[in-house]
Amino acid sequence: MPERFPGYDVLAKRRTQSWNDQTRRVIEGRLTVDPQAHSFFDDAEWRTLQAVCERIIPQPPERQRPAPLAAMVDEKMATNAADGYRDARMPPMGAAWRRGLAALDAEALARHRRTFAELAPAEADGMLSAAQGGLLAHEAWAGMSAELFFKQRVIPDIVGAYYAHPAAWNEIGYGGPAAPRGYVRLDFDRRDPWEASEARPGREAQAWRENQRVGRS
Amino acid sequence: MARLAALRRDDARPAQRLSARILRFPVPALRREATRAARQTNLAAAVLALSVLADSGVEHYRGSFRNRAMFVPLGAAALTLAASLLGVADDRPRRHPGRDGVYALAAAVGAAGLAFHAYNVGKRPGRLSWHNLFYGAPIGAPAALMFAGALGRLAETARDGGRVFGLPAERMLAAVSALGLAGAVGEAGLLHFRGAFQNPAMVLPVTMPPVAAGLLAATVATGSRPLGRAARLWLKLTTGLGLAGVGFHAFGVHRAMGGWRNWRQNAIDGPPLPAPPSFTGLALAGLAALSLMLGPDHA
Repeated sequence: MPERFPGYDVLAKRRTQSWNDQTRRVIEGRLTVDPQAHSFFDDAEWRTLQAVCERIIPQPPERQRPAPLAAMVDEKMATNAADGYRDARMPPMGAAWRRGLAALDAEALARHRRTFAELAPAEADGMLSAAQGGLLAHEAWAGMSAELFFKQRVIPDIVGAYYAHPAAWNEIGYGGPAAPRGYVRLDFDRRDPWEASEARPGREAQAWRENQRVGRS
Repeated sequence: MARLAALRRDDARPAQRLSARILRFPVPALRREATRAARQTNLAAAVLALSVLADSGVEHYRGSFRNRAMFVPLGAAALTLAASLLGVADDRPRRHPGRDGVYALAAAVGAAGLAFHAYNVGKRPGRLSWHNLFYGAPIGAPAALMFAGALGRLAETARDGGRVFGLPAERMLAAVSALGLAGAVGEAGLLHFRGAFQNPAMVLPVTMPPVAAGLLAATVATGSRPLGRAARLWLKLTTGLGLAGVGFHAFGVHRAMGGWRNWRQNAIDGPPLPAPPSFTGLALAGLAALSLMLGPDHA
């Protein structure tokens, strides 16, 4: 699939007046997450989490700096950066993840005689689909709904981590935090020079040129 | 204000009641006073034109000059500014046809802009809604150019002691000044309401100029000297208010996130620096009208 925002790198805005020191610090923090670091999950849970992340949001193999999704989820659990709300049918965030990952693994062993991390992509997708449909009922779930685990933990936490990372921002043409500089041309179909330029058919070269100038305005 | 003081230096004569009738006789002192007031009106037009030039420059740049016509007010305002400054420097008691032509052009461009902005607001989804009045093309902005042109034409007419629509130039000048102030109050009221009057000073431009405009209109209607003195005081306060407004707006830009360092957003999105001097220009014209009606101001 051709890039929708060719040549756009949100990090080109790093030194412009679009971001201040606080914004730079926060984004730097996300960029320096060690993809292999995990302090909350044990090794078995970690391998399962990585496998789940790879199936929920597969990233292009040629991407130089993929979003370290599993490490970002681990960090969220380790720092207990909770959402501020919780479905009463679910255990607290970290406990739900631990139980859900263990249950996925147990379910994989029961069905395929392999851990979840060892499953082929199609097999893993099948299990995640079953979880989404509430069709997993191994005793390892211990009363927690697989469907709620999928819909309230797996998707929000992993997708949320992905779109918090500059790699995703480049893909969707997002400019990062509008802090301090936001946007000036607020009408439909208007673009500030520090915004990503979209390659609609026929204007790919122009979009590429405009995206080269994002860091200079 | 230094320029105003310089302009006043040539009226060393005692106060005389100058009616329009007398003005048309070539009494040198009276003609001098008329010319002085006319030059002050040129200055008023210059201030308005500068305000329009800066404001439409910033706002039309923000609109990416999407429509080629968005360049027109820049040219018209620049010409008006140049003509007005020449008018300020010109102490001959005669209408200048070149300046008059530029002013007529400015008035026409302003009127066309008014119609265009009204059309722009009307074609937005929701038509004539508060939202579109707040965020669409501002209705009041092109009117400022129209008023600059009208004031300029009256400045030229006042040099001749001529009449406009059967009215002496100074009465017309007072009427235009009062009307312009009312319009500027409407614009400031709309936008300061949008800004929730979050700073108490935002109330000033919707309270002080109406008093000045009301006193000016009452003076024209009654010819009363005490009212005229009060009108002069309030018009002077309004003149100062327009200049102070630039300072208040600069403070507003500083208060927005990133402050002046983030000027590329805040000077454009924030309170417009060029807008408040419209009050200064219109109040100066009102003061000139009073000078023509009541004689020089020795306050």
